[in-house]
Amino acid sequence: MSGLLQDLFPLVWSGMITGCLYALGALGLVMIFKCSKVVNFSHGNVAGFAAFLIYGFSSGVLLELSWGAAVLLTILAVIAIAFLTYAIVSPLVFESDLTATIATLGIGLIAQGATLLIFGADIVSLDLPVPRFSTAVLGLRITGYDLTVLAVAVVTIGALFFVIDFTKLGIAFRAISENPFAAEVCGLNLRSVHLFAWIVAAILGVVGALLIVPTTFLSVTTVAAFMLQAFAAAVIGGFASLPGALVGGILVGVLMNLFTFYVSPEYSSTFLLGLILLALNIFPNGILARVEGFRV
Amino acid sequence: MSDQNATLGLSSVDRSGLRGMVSARVGTWLLIAIALCLPMVVGGSWVFALGVCFANAIGVLSVSVLVRYGGEVSIGHTFFSAVGAYTVAILDTRYGIPLWFSVPLALAFGVVAGILFAWPSRRLSGIYLAVSTLALALAVPEIINNADSLTGGYEGLYVSKPLVPGVKMSLQRYYAALAVLLAVTYGLSRLRHSRQGLTLLLAKSHPAAADAFGTRRVWARIAVMGISGGIAALCGAMLAFAGSTVSPSGFTFWAAIFLLVGSVVSVYGLTFPRALIGGAFLTLIPQFLSASGAWIPVLYGVALLGVILAGHYLPQLTQAMGRRKGGA
Amino acid sequence: MDVLTNALTGQGISLSFGGIKVLKGLDVSFRAGEITGLIGPNGAGKTSLFNCLTGAYSPQEGQIAFAGQSLDGLSPAARASKGIVRSFQHVALSPDLTVLENVMIGVARNHDTGWLNAFLPLPRGCAERAEMERAAMGALADLGLADAAHSLPDALPPGMLRLVEIARAIVGKPDVLLLDEPAAGLNNSETRDLMQTLQKLRSGGLVMVVVEHDMDLVMSICDRIYVLNFGEFVACGAPDEVRRDPDVIRIYLGSDDD
Ligand SMILES: Nc1ncnc2c1ncn2[C@@H]1O[C@H](COP(=O)(O)OP(=O)(O)O)[C@@H](O)[C@H]1O
Ligand SMILES: [Mg+2]
Repeated sequence: MSGLLQDLFPLVWSGMITGCLYALGALGLVMIFKCSKVVNFSHGNVAGFAAFLIYGFSSGVLLELSWGAAVLLTILAVIAIAFLTYAIVSPLVFESDLTATIATLGIGLIAQGATLLIFGADIVSLDLPVPRFSTAVLGLRITGYDLTVLAVAVVTIGALFFVIDFTKLGIAFRAISENPFAAEVCGLNLRSVHLFAWIVAAILGVVGALLIVPTTFLSVTTVAAFMLQAFAAAVIGGFASLPGALVGGILVGVLMNLFTFYVSPEYSSTFLLGLILLALNIFPNGILARVEGFRV
Repeated sequence: MSDQNATLGLSSVDRSGLRGMVSARVGTWLLIAIALCLPMVVGGSWVFALGVCFANAIGVLSVSVLVRYGGEVSIGHTFFSAVGAYTVAILDTRYGIPLWFSVPLALAFGVVAGILFAWPSRRLSGIYLAVSTLALALAVPEIINNADSLTGGYEGLYVSKPLVPGVKMSLQRYYAALAVLLAVTYGLSRLRHSRQGLTLLLAKSHPAAADAFGTRRVWARIAVMGISGGIAALCGAMLAFAGSTVSPSGFTFWAAIFLLVGSVVSVYGLTFPRALIGGAFLTLIPQFLSASGAWIPVLYGVALLGVILAGHYLPQLTQAMGRRKGGA
Repeated sequence: MDVLTNALTGQGISLSFGGIKVLKGLDVSFRAGEITGLIGPNGAGKTSLFNCLTGAYSPQEGQIAFAGQSLDGLSPAARASKGIVRSFQHVALSPDLTVLENVMIGVARNHDTGWLNAFLPLPRGCAERAEMERAAMGALADLGLADAAHSLPDALPPGMLRLVEIARAIVGKPDVLLLDEPAAGLNNSETRDLMQTLQKLRSGGLVMVVVEHDMDLVMSICDRIYVLNFGEFVACGAPDEVRRDPDVIRIYLGSDDD
């Protein structure tokens, strides 16, 4: 019994930490989906490209800047990419949301190719300037990295929810995601709200990428692979609910951890598949949503 | 939702008149004749590449069928092609069973796999289905690697049993893939006019109307996924035979996305020439770019966007041009 | 009374969406051999009643039966196989299929060749297709649409599409035919042709219900008329009775048509 608890606590804790990261990724996907009705498949690849840009700007491969300046410059670049993506994708949505979604796949492919072209296929290491310490609380090893992730996630997500709940832009975002037509009638500017969502999503992606990279190394596929769990998180949360994305992220983080430890580390993607199918069938609109009817 | 699905950028395509149909048919026959004669003209490496190209064309068809008849998009069809590929490869290497038996079996397994996936996802559509197929694609390499006692794991399996003993193996690989591709396009052209095909097409654009005329939408979804999975398995079977090896690296998440790219580039066409365009795109571009692999995703991405944007803006452009001409 | 037993009946049908009552305990009996009209202002619940009868909506309360057999819990497809067929208020034809092929779907439920016939040129499948084509062509010809058989729906005017919709409904020789605003968008001569067609269809075994705003059409072809308003019947009877009913006059003077 105590052995079980001894394993369980650390597993749940570290699952929650990675879960926060999945949630950051998922929130970006959901933001975009809520207003543009597009699943942004380029999210992971663009975030991965961003991580490489930070590496390139700070390591001397492209520039030799301080870490903070590199991040700032990268965020500018990512915002530019978000602009471009939005400009390409938004006219397609009127035709079909699936076509627009496929178009984001094209952008993801280009981002991946660009990463390969500029930085090559080699593995690089990108560190995060975090306090290095670790303490044990109730048999739980807590590191500076854990606390950093937790703090950044809480601050970022808190700020996001604050903006959405209390600012004019946030209210417009909610109005548009509820009913774009009514919002337009009320004189809300669709375009700027959409851009707000795309830019916030892109920045969330960069934050997520920055936080995930120290746990592994950086390669062309690291961040993209990580974002796939974020997809699962978003799906489980219902894809159209921000709190759902948060809960979904943590759920995926914890469950994946438990599964790899207690069942099998080799079948984690298969487990994810099962989780997605299960969640979609039991909660077709996400774990936090009500079911709606259709109309003839 | 459903009505949006119906228009995956398909409008204004395939709506040409009778004359267009006749010339298209002549073109198709010409293309088939060329494909039949090509091995006498081109060198060995080309024959090999074209064989793989035919196999990929079948894969492109499997994705396009889902779009055309189901209104759905898959980014996980490597799952079904892996089923077909490993059926052929395992039967060949472990049991010495030749293609005559393994291909029909691969087809059957692919159909069953399609149905088994369709059942739990029967109520999903649009992006939700797309994401669950994505999860499917992710699981594939992992499953193959872990079942290494059967699949050969990372190294894969080598398919070498001839179909017809005595005939040059390179020719067999080429013609078998071509034959299956032709059979699939023929079958699909029949499906379009069959009772099942008609009801599936109605169920795609108006599920409630299909329901009211006796076609349950769950049935429609399962049928389409079964067909699509079966065709994808045939693609895998032919990839195994024409490409001579199967390994997990052929069934990655990216390979699944490339199948979708091929399908988009062929404008979801179900005919032999269209499938060839998609297959050639997937096979020949990497061939040409083999020295600089990083350009492949860029090129695919650009092509994907190019076709989609052309599908979106060309009708508007031609309309505007027509108006200008009319005004002048 | 053979005619009565073959009726499509509903008892106490109540339907609501999120607390809004759309149908409030309706009792209906649509008899075979008659043409029943169902009229009422927009939003009265006519289409919703059809949806309940065909199984597209599940009413929260009430029983629906056809020829004495309960239909409760049956899917729309299962009801279709019992011969209950409808047309849609918003034309629901496949844009990928020609007019002829769209109408062929109306007889699909009467056929059952297997999947091999769908992919291979086997004799049974070919015969089935020819048979379906012949039936569909007949129905199109009845409605004067033979020339349009090989056009795609996008190329035709809305009025014609509505007739195609009706052709698809009648081609399978249904036992119950529910027509939702069949004359909307038709011009005068088309409406007259449609009336004749519906009269010809009238037979001892067929339950026909017509939702329609064109009062001339309803009054001249219907044997009985139900008047629906806000999910409740305000009147029911022969055309002459309904025409004189004060409630009906009030409802229709309040709205802009007639
Ligand atoms: N699926 C649905 N969800 C919510 N409300 C509905 C739905 N279907 C119908 N309604 C409502 O039911 C009422 C009746 O609609 P309908 O049956 O279409 O009327 P009619 O056909 O008589 O014009 C309307 O107020 C409509 O808004
Ligand atoms: Mg109505």
